[in-house]
Amino acid sequence: MVEMQNLTPSDLCWNAKFPPEQKWIEQTMHAAIGNIWRRAHHAAHTQLGDESSAPEIMEVAIEGAVRRLQTGPPQGPEDVASLLERLFLQEVRRRRSANKRLVYVGIDQEIPIGSAQNPHTLVDSAIDLDRILHDIPPDVRIALLLRYSRSRWSEVAAVLGTSDAAVRLRCKRALDRIRKKLEDEIHET
Amino acid sequence: MLCAVGKEAVAENHSSPLDDDNDTLLFEKLQEHVLAHYPNPERKGCPEPEVLKSLVDDPGNVTLAALNDLHVFKCAECTRLLMELRQKKKQREASK
Repeated sequence: MVEMQNLTPSDLCWNAKFPPEQKWIEQTMHAAIGNIWRRAHHAAHTQLGDESSAPEIMEVAIEGAVRRLQTGPPQGPEDVASLLERLFLQEVRRRRSANKRLVYVGIDQEIPIGSAQNPHTLVDSAIDLDRILHDIPPDVRIALLLRYSRSRWSEVAAVLGTSDAAVRLRCKRALDRIRKKLEDEIHET
Repeated sequence: MLCAVGKEAVAENHSSPLDDDNDTLLFEKLQEHVLAHYPNPERKGCPEPEVLKSLVDDPGNVTLAALNDLHVFKCAECTRLLMELRQKKKQREASK
């Protein structure tokens, strides 16, 4: 079982590109992530209803924070934590707004009566595999290709220099959509 | 069957109660799906066989561009080649 709350700062930074000439950024970022991760994870869970998106949102926040920190003087861990948390919550709010604009794909008859439907969830049943793959971010694409060409997530994690848990969580959203697509096909046959 | 049944499975972050921690069943089904639905006998857009071999044996330097992005998920022939390369690697490792 993947324990999302136990992800380490290193797990969450596995895809981050820190400037080598400004080592303080990576050091303070790790401390900042350790400081805010539980609160951030909770915010993703309560405001988006989807805790699995928390690592992905944190990666977006880290990327934004690194860009800003590169252009200014060195900052302490508390300031970096504050910046990171602000960017994290900004991304959560953006996704919440974006979810409200999503529309159902497909006609009413395709949605079983009584099935549990999150009103902010795109109905995937009408979306084929191509579209699912199209929406996958580059780092997840690499992880999925590595997994497709071997047998275990631990091997993928070893190639990417991170933990099994981090890789699986990062890929969870894409895997869930692919699984749903394949389930729908099984039910249709 | 791949569906996650019940809220417990979702709450526990399990991929599916019928699959293992490596999502073995899911990737087997995905492979079957690609083999059945994406024939590509003319090998359009396929990466070089050496690139697929590197993906299996030495993936550190393989890029998305060299793989033509997610082409292998939409090509039965490349998927078949990956399966062969994986099998060969397994046999080499077993004979050591």
